[in-house]
Amino acid sequence: MGNLTDKYCVVGVGETPHMRPSNRTTLSMACEAVKKAMANAGLEPRDIDGMTSYQAGDSTTSNHVATSLGIRLNYSLDIFGGGSSTEALIAHAVGLLEGGYCKTIVIFRSMNGRSGRRMGGQAPSGPVPPTQAAGDQQFYMHWGWTTPAQWFGMSAMRYLRDTGATTKTFAEVAVAHRYHASLNPKAIMRAPITIEDHQRSRWVSKPLRLLDCCLETDVSAALIITSRERAFDLKQPPVFIMGGTARTMAPSPSWNYSRPEIHYVAGNYGRNRLFGMAGISQKDVDIISCYDAFTFTTTIQLEAYGFCGKGEAKDFVKGGRLQIDHELPSNLSGGHLSEGYTHGISMVIENVRQLRHRADDACPRWAEGIHTYDRKAGCRQVKKARIAACLGWGTEATSSSAILRGIIG
Amino acid sequence: MPGAIDYSRITIVPDFDTAEWWMGTKQHKYLVRQCKSCGHKWFPPFPACSKCTSMDLTWFETAGKGVIHSYVVVTQPILSAFIETVPYVVALIELDDCHEADGALVRVAGVLLDDEEAVAMGLPVEVVFEETKEPNIVIPRWKICGTAENTWKFTE
Ligand SMILES: [Zn+2]
Repeated sequence: MGNLTDKYCVVGVGETPHMRPSNRTTLSMACEAVKKAMANAGLEPRDIDGMTSYQAGDSTTSNHVATSLGIRLNYSLDIFGGGSSTEALIAHAVGLLEGGYCKTIVIFRSMNGRSGRRMGGQAPSGPVPPTQAAGDQQFYMHWGWTTPAQWFGMSAMRYLRDTGATTKTFAEVAVAHRYHASLNPKAIMRAPITIEDHQRSRWVSKPLRLLDCCLETDVSAALIITSRERAFDLKQPPVFIMGGTARTMAPSPSWNYSRPEIHYVAGNYGRNRLFGMAGISQKDVDIISCYDAFTFTTTIQLEAYGFCGKGEAKDFVKGGRLQIDHELPSNLSGGHLSEGYTHGISMVIENVRQLRHRADDACPRWAEGIHTYDRKAGCRQVKKARIAACLGWGTEATSSSAILRGIIG
Repeated sequence: MPGAIDYSRITIVPDFDTAEWWMGTKQHKYLVRQCKSCGHKWFPPFPACSKCTSMDLTWFETAGKGVIHSYVVVTQPILSAFIETVPYVVALIELDDCHEADGALVRVAGVLLDDEEAVAMGLPVEVVFEETKEPNIVIPRWKICGTAENTWKFTE
């Protein structure tokens, strides 16, 4: 991004509660999330002129949301995508703003991920129709290889063999993220867990256990991006966008079928560009969001993005080093494993709140940025968090990432 | 041995890129795509060569033998077709006869006929074509067909 670094900011964030089920439409939830993000920034519908979103055939569109809220758009775009989309759309927003296509852009994701269409599954109720295996599915479905836990389990298994990591490595991630969720009033799963709890949980797709898997969630979340000039007039401390990458592919497009190492993922290809744009190194990063569709996706991304060497995550995550007040706090809201599964956007939102010094926790004056740092009393604000790396993940072959910077601390 | 797969619960929808591949399985041939210009081979049968962009393609008939590169053990049936099948192993298989000089290789996947207890990375496997109730659809599965040194097996 080079000369665009720090020119544009995240200025508003908002989300619905994490629900299962929501008993609402994705449109209704998206309107609520966008309204909350506008209120958070101190913006009115007339201030918004760009809107983008991502979905997997499971959501409403930007135009529906904008029309419902009386927003007139100069630019809208709804892309197909999951976990490699939030950061991609942040980078995209920077380009749109720089090009003058619009002045203030909303990015949202809205999904009934629990009560609506579930990943890799069939209709939620009623007689089960034969499953149609078309397109890519022809080469997964009839092999009984249809869900993310089954796909990524394949890489996870080879990863264990090649690195000497064990499922206790995965457990460390689950424990750290659950600990953060225990401090987050919005999280679905808040009861702390131990390594032993993880090791006792049932198999979903070996080598992945139940506590390795994210939660299916009904939720909508939104964030708003504008220029630094406008940002300083708004309600919250600005959070600057330092750099971003999108869907950095491995040379071979097919997931597991022909790449030399199936746990060598898209982040490996994006990381130099990401940190190069931002002009920082991994050592400068205070907090991360690390896409935890599974515990294992976090482990592998720590290596892919260079926070530790290839195969070193098994030592890097040991002893709670991903936990708040330790080496590299990861997913301070609890992430997808424990807060709720939003295809990446809520983890970026958490980073924004942390960088503003306004993590919404049990501290009575968090909205003013006043925190106790008393973890026992439910404070989850990281002291002096200035730089956050947001590491998204779609499949092994797609990722997107962004680096954000706050001005407090 | 894993339970039967109820293939009547899955409707395969062949298309422009894949119809000939399904014709191949019907004749008990395991085909992979091959580029006429540069010889590169790949799977699934995407319609262009990722090495030279050529769309002038042919098929390479593999011997249907390979080595288990990785696997997962599915303990929870997600699709109704697999309710009777669990637990079953899906293996990722590196085909023996598709290695190219620059290191390019072809992997395929499939449900093993063998149980979890038998599976290990590094073991040789061969294809078995399984008839389904649908006369036009034959599904390739895989079975372990030998032993090997330096295998690796998942243990808790
Ligand atoms: Zn070619």
